[in-house]
Amino acid sequence: MHSTHSLPIGDDVHTKDYKVQLSVHGEELDSKTIIEDVSRGFFAFGAFYKLALLALAALFAVGIVVFVIRAADGLGDASRHQWDYLAAVFAFIVSAAGCAPLIAVALRMTRNHWRRPISRIAELYAVVGLLSLLMFIPLLRVLPPIDGRRTLWFTDEFPGAPVWWNFFGLLGLVIAGLALLFVSALPDWLQTSRRGQGFRAGFAGVFAGRWTGTEAQWKLHRAVLAIMGAFYFLLLIYMLSIINTDFVMSLVPGWKDAIMPAHQALTGIQSALALVLITAFLVRTFGGYKKYFPMEVFWSSSKILMALCLLWAYFWFAAFMTFWYGRMPVEQTILKTFMFESYFIPFLINIFCSWLIPFFGLLMWNPVRKSVWGPTLASCFILVGAFFMMVRLYVPAFNIEDVTAFSLETVPAAVTPNAGDIFIIIGALSGAVFLYMLAAKFIPIISIWEMKEGLLYQRVRTLFRSRFLMVGKPD
Amino acid sequence: MAKKELMGLFTDAGYAAEAGDALERAGLTKNDYDFLTDTPYPEGALGERHISHKIYVFPFIGAMLGLTVAILITAGTQVSYPLITGGKPVLSVPAMAIISYEGTMLGAILFTVLGILFESRLPYFRKRLYDDRITEGYIGLVVEVDDSKVSDVERALTQAGAVEIKRAAA
Repeated sequence: MHSTHSLPIGDDVHTKDYKVQLSVHGEELDSKTIIEDVSRGFFAFGAFYKLALLALAALFAVGIVVFVIRAADGLGDASRHQWDYLAAVFAFIVSAAGCAPLIAVALRMTRNHWRRPISRIAELYAVVGLLSLLMFIPLLRVLPPIDGRRTLWFTDEFPGAPVWWNFFGLLGLVIAGLALLFVSALPDWLQTSRRGQGFRAGFAGVFAGRWTGTEAQWKLHRAVLAIMGAFYFLLLIYMLSIINTDFVMSLVPGWKDAIMPAHQALTGIQSALALVLITAFLVRTFGGYKKYFPMEVFWSSSKILMALCLLWAYFWFAAFMTFWYGRMPVEQTILKTFMFESYFIPFLINIFCSWLIPFFGLLMWNPVRKSVWGPTLASCFILVGAFFMMVRLYVPAFNIEDVTAFSLETVPAAVTPNAGDIFIIIGALSGAVFLYMLAAKFIPIISIWEMKEGLLYQRVRTLFRSRFLMVGKPD
Repeated sequence: MAKKELMGLFTDAGYAAEAGDALERAGLTKNDYDFLTDTPYPEGALGERHISHKIYVFPFIGAMLGLTVAILITAGTQVSYPLITGGKPVLSVPAMAIISYEGTMLGAILFTVLGILFESRLPYFRKRLYDDRITEGYIGLVVEVDDSKVSDVERALTQAGAVEIKRAAA
């Protein structure tokens, strides 16, 4: 005979057979369904997936070969101009993939529920940080000495400034991202290791370690995610600002701009959300997880994406206005170089894809926002825009010959990518996707514990003539 | 006296919470039992004991150490080789701020990683009581109890609605 009881979260909590609808437009789910679905997807390793991995690995390898051949000619300040497109693609990867875990952190901190299906998708991009770190090493080697040029570091007397501090900063960011991912994945590793066999189940079991889901472990889990998330955010914005300052503005004589480093950080956050949405769309469409991604996930994300598009425009306009009104010769030269003459086409692509098309063409309209395809399409444009922003910033900066001059006197000609550059770009992007897809076969791409947590706090209930989502707020 | 580890398996969180109360009525304390769940329940929802950890101490110590090392590096360099740059003081905060900030962050992050390992008591090689059904939403209630009380505990768990009771030598 069971006595009646009443938990703060209601009587119908989390029973084995109790199915919960997580959104008005979504399907009913329960714990068993979630673990079975995610485990099935996790252990499935289809021919198409393997083929994609193989193709990406091949492209990545070609990129590495081209890099090695080019590096054989020299890897120093004298050959800096050869690494302009590598710098651009590195900046794109470190901004977009580097900011992606921040999406999970921010949405988790704000305690919203629609983030649950995309949390792990965002966190998993921490793995791409390893590639960023590897790409950063040659770029640090070609960075010219501080002596004689404007720099944020003020002096080259400090041991390791700027190269080693740059490296350790990015290393710290990668460690923080991976620690965040590791802790977040612990409960899922335990649960999936019990559902499969073979190497990956063994791997998950080993990594789950002593995790069994005691209350003490969950409490520590919560605390670590909060602490690591905060650290990741604090170091990420710093690193993106430092990278922009050291690898763009500091290489262009006379460029003084307080907005540009923050603008790159903002572009990173914008492109990271776009990246997460595109990945969510792919996982939803091709991964067999359609019921886990109701339209609300895209609709809610699109509002943030729209705000970020507006913010991007504001940052660009604020920087542009300062130079345009200033009208000093060096400011005019910088405007002509980076926007209106040499790199006018990349600039046009950038401004259209980062702001005009996604905002005015797509996200401004409610029916587009309130769909799965709308925010995804806007995200595709945003990623293209972010890439061309890095091209128009990093390529000209890496081609400035005299970085110690007082100011940029003449407008340099545009440098278009040669075959080697294109292979390096494709190789780097393929490498990033390859790492991500490989990681998704060792860490479940849907956060099982977070999805199940959603079952505790969400119910769809009838109110008068319609059905609405009721959300519980435990803290 | 030898200790035994038991685990009651419940289909419902409410029954599991009720079982915890029943164990206390049977003379056990909150330290004698623990809940195993597949998702984080709100703190206190199952009536578990208040649990504390010291994870917050690690980043704080790491940050302090990192900041100290960074200041020693920057200030030490300036003092050992005092070159006046741009007419600014030899020990100027803006020049030291960047490295100090990064040193603080790196110290905090590395010590937090150490804190995770320490607070999680990793690595851990002992096999713990578990049941795969917990991954499907069942609640496990693990009890560590003296041999003499095993039957009382089993009775309490069964009466509270345990669908199965597992045993392991503690």
